[in-house]
Amino acid sequence: MMLRASSSANDLELDLSLVRGEANENEAVQHAPALAALVDASINDLDALPAARSALVEATDAATMLDASAVVANFEMMTRIADGTGTRHPSDRLDSMSDMNTSMGLDQFISARV
Amino acid sequence: MTETPTSIIQACHQASDLEVRPDLTAAHAHVWEKLAAPGTWWNGDERLAIAEVVRAALDDADPTPPWESASSSGRIPKNPFIASELQDAVYRLARHAGTLTEDWYLTMRDATGVTPQQWVEVIEVAISVASVLRFAQVAGIEQPKFPVALGGEPSRQDQPSKPAKHHWVPVVHLEDMTPELEPFYEGLPALAPVIRALSSVPAAMDTLTTLGNAQYIPMREMVDLNWSRGTLSRRQIEFVAGRLSALRECFY
Repeated sequence: MMLRASSSANDLELDLSLVRGEANENEAVQHAPALAALVDASINDLDALPAARSALVEATDAATMLDASAVVANFEMMTRIADGTGTRHPSDRLDSMSDMNTSMGLDQFISARV
Repeated sequence: MTETPTSIIQACHQASDLEVRPDLTAAHAHVWEKLAAPGTWWNGDERLAIAEVVRAALDDADPTPPWESASSSGRIPKNPFIASELQDAVYRLARHAGTLTEDWYLTMRDATGVTPQQWVEVIEVAISVASVLRFAQVAGIEQPKFPVALGGEPSRQDQPSKPAKHHWVPVVHLEDMTPELEPFYEGLPALAPVIRALSSVPAAMDTLTTLGNAQYIPMREMVDLNWSRGTLSRRQIEFVAGRLSALRECFY
């Protein structure tokens, strides 16, 4: 996962539970709570989107909120490409990810093509 | 003044109080220009019919479960340009992509008669609509309407795609690169499977690259683990990407 790689590249400790669990403030991902709130609202609670958007703008700025929205849009794209074409990881990459997949419960997804 | 796909996107972005990056507006305008025009395997009416199903699926406040037919439930208006079986497949791709399996894919192909390349183009239409509409929704910008369908025939330009180890669909391997794929393959020692997934339809590769460069990270900057536009850090970008993918239950 690129989040793990980009954190390691900067010698930053990253608790990967941040991705699926509660997003606390941390050194590796600044403004994680506000970013998580935007992502979560976009999927689970559209009524909460305006507040999540405003909170992110307040914590950062409008340009950052727009770029976060663009990343959301991008992964609405990538998830459909991966799952629509049955894309799977090469075996060596799967091996390197196995601890993370298990600890985060990713291997329980229907889309886990291992 | 005549409304064009580009002017539709520009009007929505400019009507907001926000300063959308010009390259992002241009990327969305580019895929909107292609959306209802003849593609590689589908004509403009068919592509627009696929797009309508994607929009209906994304907007559905009470979606049908993955295993039920959305077209039979009356959620999707009948459309003379695509069969109800394909409408159901598009709805499931748009709304429940994380539930797709290889058995589903093979059954869907039998039921719809679509070729793997036609399915790749269906995905291309779906990602165009999902990107443009979801960006607007999340950013709080008016969602662009669809352009009108253009006449003309699909190009039917085939590629030397082969069965793939890492995909259900055939792909074009690096060593089989064609001139149409050169802009996406040239100079790269390897290509991530998820990028190569659409390679049997170069126009779909163009859509993926155009959107990815503007919405995420330019393809050739991917190796720079500290790349940033000056707003989100690389780690923040990957955090948003990872959290969204997990919520969509996308293993890849």
